[in-house]
Amino acid sequence: MTDAQGNTIDTRARIGRILVYGTLILAASFYMLPLFVMVVTSLKSLDEIRLGNLLSLPDEVTFEAWGIAWSSACTGVTCGGLKGYFLNSVLIAVPAVAISTIIGAFNGYVMTKWRFRGSELFFGMLLIGTMIPFQVVLLPMAQTLGILGLSGTIPGLILVHVVYGIAFTTLFFRNYYVSVPDELVRAAMIDGAGFFRIFWRIILPVSIPIIVVSVIWQFTQIWNDFLFGVVYSSGDQQPLTVGLNNLVNTSTGVKQYNVDMAAAIIAALPTLLVYVVAGKYFVRGLTAGAVKG
Amino acid sequence: MSRVTQNKTEPGNRRRSFGDFIEASLPKLVVAPTFVITLIFIYGYIFLNGWLSFTKSRMLPKYKWAGTIQYERLFDNDRWWVAAKNLAIFGGLFIVICLALGLLLAILLDQRVRAEGAIRTIYLYPMALSFIVTGTAWKWILNPGLGLEKLVRDLGFESFSFDWLVDPEMAIYTVVIAGVWQASGFVMALFLAGLRGVDDSIIKAAQVDGASLPKIYWRIIIPSLRPVFFSALIILTHIAIKSFDLVIALTGGGPGYASDVPATFMYTFAFTRGQVGLGAASSMMMLAAVAAIIVPYLYSELRGKNHD
Amino acid sequence: MKKHSLRINDVHKSYGATDVLKGIDINIEGGQFLILVGPSGCGKSTLLNMIAGLETVTSGSINIGEHDVTHLAPKDRDIAMVFQSYALYPNMTVAQNISFGMEIRKVEKAEQQATVARVAGMLQIEPLLNRKPSQLSGGQRQRVAMGRALARDPSLFLFDEPLSNLDAKLRVEMRTEIKELHQRMGTTIVYVTHDQIEAMTLGDRIAVMKDGEVQQFGSPREIYDNPTNMFVAGFMGSPSMNFIPSKVVRENGDIGVQIEGEAGNFVLPVNGAGAQLQSRVDSEIVLGLRPEQITQRVEGKENNAANFVAPCLVEVVEPTGPDTLIFVRLNGRKVVCRVEPEAASDAGQNMELMFDLSKAVFFDGESGTRI
Repeated sequence: MTDAQGNTIDTRARIGRILVYGTLILAASFYMLPLFVMVVTSLKSLDEIRLGNLLSLPDEVTFEAWGIAWSSACTGVTCGGLKGYFLNSVLIAVPAVAISTIIGAFNGYVMTKWRFRGSELFFGMLLIGTMIPFQVVLLPMAQTLGILGLSGTIPGLILVHVVYGIAFTTLFFRNYYVSVPDELVRAAMIDGAGFFRIFWRIILPVSIPIIVVSVIWQFTQIWNDFLFGVVYSSGDQQPLTVGLNNLVNTSTGVKQYNVDMAAAIIAALPTLLVYVVAGKYFVRGLTAGAVKG
Repeated sequence: MSRVTQNKTEPGNRRRSFGDFIEASLPKLVVAPTFVITLIFIYGYIFLNGWLSFTKSRMLPKYKWAGTIQYERLFDNDRWWVAAKNLAIFGGLFIVICLALGLLLAILLDQRVRAEGAIRTIYLYPMALSFIVTGTAWKWILNPGLGLEKLVRDLGFESFSFDWLVDPEMAIYTVVIAGVWQASGFVMALFLAGLRGVDDSIIKAAQVDGASLPKIYWRIIIPSLRPVFFSALIILTHIAIKSFDLVIALTGGGPGYASDVPATFMYTFAFTRGQVGLGAASSMMMLAAVAAIIVPYLYSELRGKNHD
Repeated sequence: MKKHSLRINDVHKSYGATDVLKGIDINIEGGQFLILVGPSGCGKSTLLNMIAGLETVTSGSINIGEHDVTHLAPKDRDIAMVFQSYALYPNMTVAQNISFGMEIRKVEKAEQQATVARVAGMLQIEPLLNRKPSQLSGGQRQRVAMGRALARDPSLFLFDEPLSNLDAKLRVEMRTEIKELHQRMGTTIVYVTHDQIEAMTLGDRIAVMKDGEVQQFGSPREIYDNPTNMFVAGFMGSPSMNFIPSKVVRENGDIGVQIEGEAGNFVLPVNGAGAQLQSRVDSEIVLGLRPEQITQRVEGKENNAANFVAPCLVEVVEPTGPDTLIFVRLNGRKVVCRVEPEAASDAGQNMELMFDLSKAVFFDGESGTRI
């Protein structure tokens, strides 16, 4: 069959397909561009950077910038590279993720299987907590940390991330446990199991998917955080994002763009790796957060 | 033959004990810490912060009531208005472009494309990065002299110039570019999930009615995406109002304070300029902006539920 | 063998301002099979949960045997429950599912294994012991759920619509198995269902519930033959009892009810119930006749005083296999009759139907109560 312009339906469909793929590939290159540029730039020497442009491949691949970024780049006063800050982020993220996930799991369990008067209202309050801009708690929290003697320390940052992560983890677990049949808990009660045994033997074993979602989400949020990091830490206690920002913005001497890029990739690697390996859980976390209450 | 076990259980064999009382209160005990935390660290702090915004605090917080003096200073402050205007420009463009781009890509991806999984992964990975990393990368890409400008010139367009990053008028638009790059993939994922949730039989009915594909999309599918649209809108607005990391990394609020936003304004005044009261006032304004969006949305959601 | 009685004494349940159960009194002896039956929302599941201790009692008391269990936790009531969705622990094997309760009670390993083996033998699920619930069919899961309950050797078995999720054929099989199990074990059972066939076939005593109240409590026969109101009469029995609004008349000194049909009008004599209807002459009542009480004319029985033959116009014919259902219209109402397949006329034709009034029941049209 042909239409008015003499094109067959097949041709029109094919042109349509080409347009679709073309646009998608164009978009893909837009998203890949920065990553490509970062990698390529980090492997060039400063001379090559000046001579070439963003997309030109290095004639001589060199990992020098990476070494500097890791261990000798200057981040303000000290010049020890990012490795100290990397460790700090690990020390902050691991406990904070673990604690906020555990608390979120218990909260979700109670809210769905041991409902009491006001538990829905409580959930609503928590939910609103996820929506506030953190700027409104920065100052009072700074004061509290000062009083507790935790300002500028890693435990202080762990506390902050746990406190403001609980709302999200509770949301995840609550939405997940809602679909675990209540009759399972009732059968276990008749069998004689109590609060903790039911959680440990019945609920927890079926929670693996949501634990993964919660851990990945929390890890990404905490690792990538900058606001709390820059306000509540100082000197060599700072997390990686703050270290990176300092590194890129120190104005001593010549700007070493290759080092900047290497540093950015170092900072991005952990969450990027998590995303590549467990991407679908990450997406589940994102879309679960979007389906509020 | 198996022996029949003598079952010694009878109803009410056990006495009620203090342990039973603890057992019954366990659920409430377990959520109590979270309840206390929420009360103090969210609502308590908001109240405290609000209080601070009505004091004369400078370097250190003072709790003596001083009326609306900080708000007057805020509204008198040129830099604040620059920040507010920038938020409107950035927020508006960021939201609109993300929604449009996200919807477009979602519709295209919905066309049973080969390697859909791989393409989706590529679109979404920016969301896994810190805004600092994004800002750093784009700061290099848009570097006047060595970045985009040089690239395009090398491709033959000798007179191309791109120095938005250091142009006070255009700096805020670079934040739009980087922000869209980071968040549009997420919007795409939301819309794609929404598209996938559309009932197949409705589309088939439309095809039997003779509707063409674009018309089906325009008249049936897109209108059914309203809830997703609103979810995305809320989240994007939220991201826009909170934007701090991205601005710091990309422009530092500069040149000067040409690309300041309320979040960077607050940080600068509260923590580097010893103007705690003013900082608190600016953060309360940010809260008000978020509330202005969330409250109507929540209200319409709750009302919708009551109507069901 | 434990045979504990169950007494539910004036039990009320409210959620805030809503009264879900409005004073329930039920008494059964040890070893009996009690059915709680009624439409959705009548409160039967709530009552079962209260017997189990999974819901609190707002007022009233519940006794199992001589023990007042009203305020005891489920695990202290010595009960076992089988749920509609089976509620098998998904991460445990069948054997672990069955022994979980014993594990908590710290029963010796050897005894646990012996019980599991015994129960598995009883229900023929030995080959399934090492499988997980997700690997079982619906019927198998049902058996495992029952096995878990049996392993507890309780004073009271509770069943919450256990067969609702099974297909029709399996349902009939499992129904018989449950009945056999009861005969063998002799334990007291409380069984909730919305299916009145299950109620009739399984129960020793049936409590028909509606809107939080017990409408009638008695044996299946009593409930079927002697319903106390229209709701119970219409709920039990399939196809439902026919309700024909009609006028009570006196003809030649005999009491009867006026029937108007497409093929002619007649008066059905009510002899036996004449005494109750004396005061209702010339007023409207509702006549209740079950489909099996309206059959084809049977030679030799038509002279029986309780039977009356009259021609009626057949509207719809539904052959079901063992009998054929004939739909006629009497007094403006659709009436179902059960006739033998060979005797059935075709739709649109007149047919002589024999009305057996020995079991007819009469109701007050407004209140629905039995006259």
